[in-house]
Amino acid sequence: MSTEAAIEPPPAGGHVPSIATSTLLRSTREAALKTPSIRWCDDPQVGSSSSVLVDSRETRKMNTYQAVRDAMSIALNKDETAVVFGEDVAFGGVFRCTMGLAEEFGRERVFNTPLTEQGIAGFGIGLAAMGQTAIAEIQFSDYIYPAFDQLVNEAAKLRYRSGGQYNVGGLTIRTPTMAVGHGGLYHSQSPEGFFLGAAGLKIVIPRSPIQAKGLLLASIRDPNPVIFMEPKILYRSAIEQVPLDDYELPLSQAEILTSGSDLTILTYGTPVYTCETAIHHLSQPPPSLDALIPQSVRSASVELIDLRTILPWDVDTVVKSVQKTGRLLIVHEAGRTGGVAGEIATEIQKRCFLRLEAPVHRVTGWEDSEISTPVALQYEKFYIPDAVRVLDGIIKALTY
Amino acid sequence: MFRHLGRRAASCTARKRTYSDFKHGNLPHSHSPITTDLEFFNSVRPDGQQIPTYRVLDSVGQPIDGSTVPEPFSYICSSYETMMLLPTLDTLLYSVQRQGKISFYHGEEATVVGSAAALSPTDEVLGQYREMGVLLWRGFDLDSIMSQCLGNKEDKATKGRQMPVHFGSPQHHFHTISSPLATQIPQAAGVGYALKRDPERRGKDCAVCYFGEGAASEGDFHAGMLLASTIPSPTLFIVRNNGFAISTPSSEQYYGDGIAARGPGYGIDTIRVDGNDILAVLGAVREARRRCVQQGRAVLVESMTYRVGHHSTSDDSFAYRARQEVEDRKKVDNPVSRLRLFLESRKWWSDDEETELKARLKSEILTAFKRAENLSRWELKELFSDVYAGDEPWNLREQREELGELLKKYGTVWEPWKKEREKFNGSGDEFLS
Ligand SMILES: Cc1ncc(C[n+]2csc(CCOP(=O)(O)OP(=O)(O)O)c2C)c(N)n1
Ligand SMILES: [Mg+2]
Repeated sequence: MSTEAAIEPPPAGGHVPSIATSTLLRSTREAALKTPSIRWCDDPQVGSSSSVLVDSRETRKMNTYQAVRDAMSIALNKDETAVVFGEDVAFGGVFRCTMGLAEEFGRERVFNTPLTEQGIAGFGIGLAAMGQTAIAEIQFSDYIYPAFDQLVNEAAKLRYRSGGQYNVGGLTIRTPTMAVGHGGLYHSQSPEGFFLGAAGLKIVIPRSPIQAKGLLLASIRDPNPVIFMEPKILYRSAIEQVPLDDYELPLSQAEILTSGSDLTILTYGTPVYTCETAIHHLSQPPPSLDALIPQSVRSASVELIDLRTILPWDVDTVVKSVQKTGRLLIVHEAGRTGGVAGEIATEIQKRCFLRLEAPVHRVTGWEDSEISTPVALQYEKFYIPDAVRVLDGIIKALTY
Repeated sequence: MFRHLGRRAASCTARKRTYSDFKHGNLPHSHSPITTDLEFFNSVRPDGQQIPTYRVLDSVGQPIDGSTVPEPFSYICSSYETMMLLPTLDTLLYSVQRQGKISFYHGEEATVVGSAAALSPTDEVLGQYREMGVLLWRGFDLDSIMSQCLGNKEDKATKGRQMPVHFGSPQHHFHTISSPLATQIPQAAGVGYALKRDPERRGKDCAVCYFGEGAASEGDFHAGMLLASTIPSPTLFIVRNNGFAISTPSSEQYYGDGIAARGPGYGIDTIRVDGNDILAVLGAVREARRRCVQQGRAVLVESMTYRVGHHSTSDDSFAYRARQEVEDRKKVDNPVSRLRLFLESRKWWSDDEETELKARLKSEILTAFKRAENLSRWELKELFSDVYAGDEPWNLREQREELGELLKKYGTVWEPWKKEREKFNGSGDEFLS
């Protein structure tokens, strides 16, 4: 079920940023090596980031699945206890993230499991409880629910329940997430919100190849269990020059992608690019939208933030930004009720109440089915928050 | 399997053992004889012997010695038609999907049609996704098949919400398919229990649950088998063991003797059948169903087949198995040709009829496809229906209204929406007024 990116071609006449042309992607070696907060993990001087070292570093063009694979290859190379497993992982996985790893590291370390998500999670917990490194794959985040009990009641709570004697810090669960344009109810979900109440777990969602590699290595080495959700449309469509060395990017640290003073947009995963497009349309609307974008908002300066870690999230960066802009728009694919935006909005309203010039706005998927997040196949284009919905949210927040 | 326990022990110790050997009586309140032998038992036996496979036809369509050909014969001819329909549909849907029209499709023949023919048309079926043959056997028409696969306004099964092959039809007693694997297995135990509670259907209908050998690894499989046997219900489990779960061969799915070996663990009558022999499937499932309904207890049938096609249209199976292996299986163990050879040898089928049937099926399928292709989708407002019964909650109403406002503002100018709207019945106008 390897997924071809199904991106809309840019409308005629405009160089509108899309994933393929996004300026947020680092397409040169220089830009890649300047990735903010990058932490080189060289042996033996772990953590060194001196410019001398930077100059000699190499990069290679990779898409997101190749970057994910690269991270796992480094983890397997450097950590003898590390194993990679899940459904169809041995032949490379349905999204090709584990391609060649079984051949390179052997079937004892990279292996297929029988088809049981609760089993995969439980097995990983067992490995991690023994102090080893377990990198498990759940084939689609839509299928993580059979593992919910293991993750929420066991992985999240083991440290607390054992008075700190046991922990599963070595556990990382990778799983493809979000919509691709043709996945329907059960290949498009964004279940991150369901894990918000599971203190003890971390949830990380990267936006690009460089981010995926650095955040995955950090997740694997973090002393807590991490659910690492990879936006599946970005596997092939997002391409960057990725540093070949071992490096990490910090967890629980949001990244300001473009700074601005009038409005903060907070998002993560695929919608990062939708927001980029919407911001572009705000200042340079295509002729079709020209009449609908008030002149007063066109020169607004928008700060775009990628949250990156959903749990525990970087409240400081968001608060600082909103204290500056006074307005916050949160965008995610998951449904609204019980979604991540609701949690963030509450905290921001509490901390920035007197500074806010508009209520916190949310642009999200519709909740067609309870608080879950199904994406009805034929209705997908009207379900997923697209650029025009984000644009409308921007206008509403700015003109409130 | 526990019936063979004595024999297995004999094969391990090379000594025939009789019940009188157990001279120490039983464990209190049980029939477990006390023994002084420190012996272990396993479905994986030292001599390599496995659970036998029930078969009627050999690979060239001749009944094997001592086999029973199930009657009536008219059934066999109609099952051949339905069987032929499947690969023809498969080919068409496969080729249109390769052009990007539908998202995925995959199929399988003798196991599905043979078992469908053995059921009562009112048995409640809970399938996985390769069981379209059951619906076809029950008269679900080609227009409905195409409509679901293309997600148009006649797709009553899912209103265009689910991917292709996620059929469902209460009229055909076929519960709507769900992509998450194995969820239907414990549900089937509940359906079986409901049938038992219903005075109109008790002793008449059973629940029939299909799933793959891969799905049988899910916790839900074990839960379902356990429930159906412990809270007895007429629930018939049919596992299609086609050797693969996407790329994972069954040798990496389980170490024991297939799925059949698990039935006895739950006290469930179990049989393994040659799933590429439609007469064996028909005979075995018919008897399985009889027991299931008569005893009101679960029965397990493991049908051994081979997935000739790729897992789905987004899979290329030659990345993990040899093309030759597939070609060989197609040749020596082809369920369709085994039945055709049988029919021909009885003079119930001829080349002319074959040619005529192929042409007719192809043209019927094409007609249905062309018709379905030109139908619009449901109305856009269906995006928000069927979430709750009764009053629409405020949050859904507001979200529906919010989409309405957005469509009024941008729906006639924003290209991606303008184009997309056209595909819906009424072009989403219900939001614009
Ligand atoms: C809970 C869950 N996990 C994973 C998947 C992805 N998936 C879809 S089909 C499939 C393989 C199923 O194999 P099997 O049960 O043997 O059925 P077959 O396709 O061979 O008929 C997998 C892993 C899923 N649909 N649901
Ligand atoms: Mg299978």
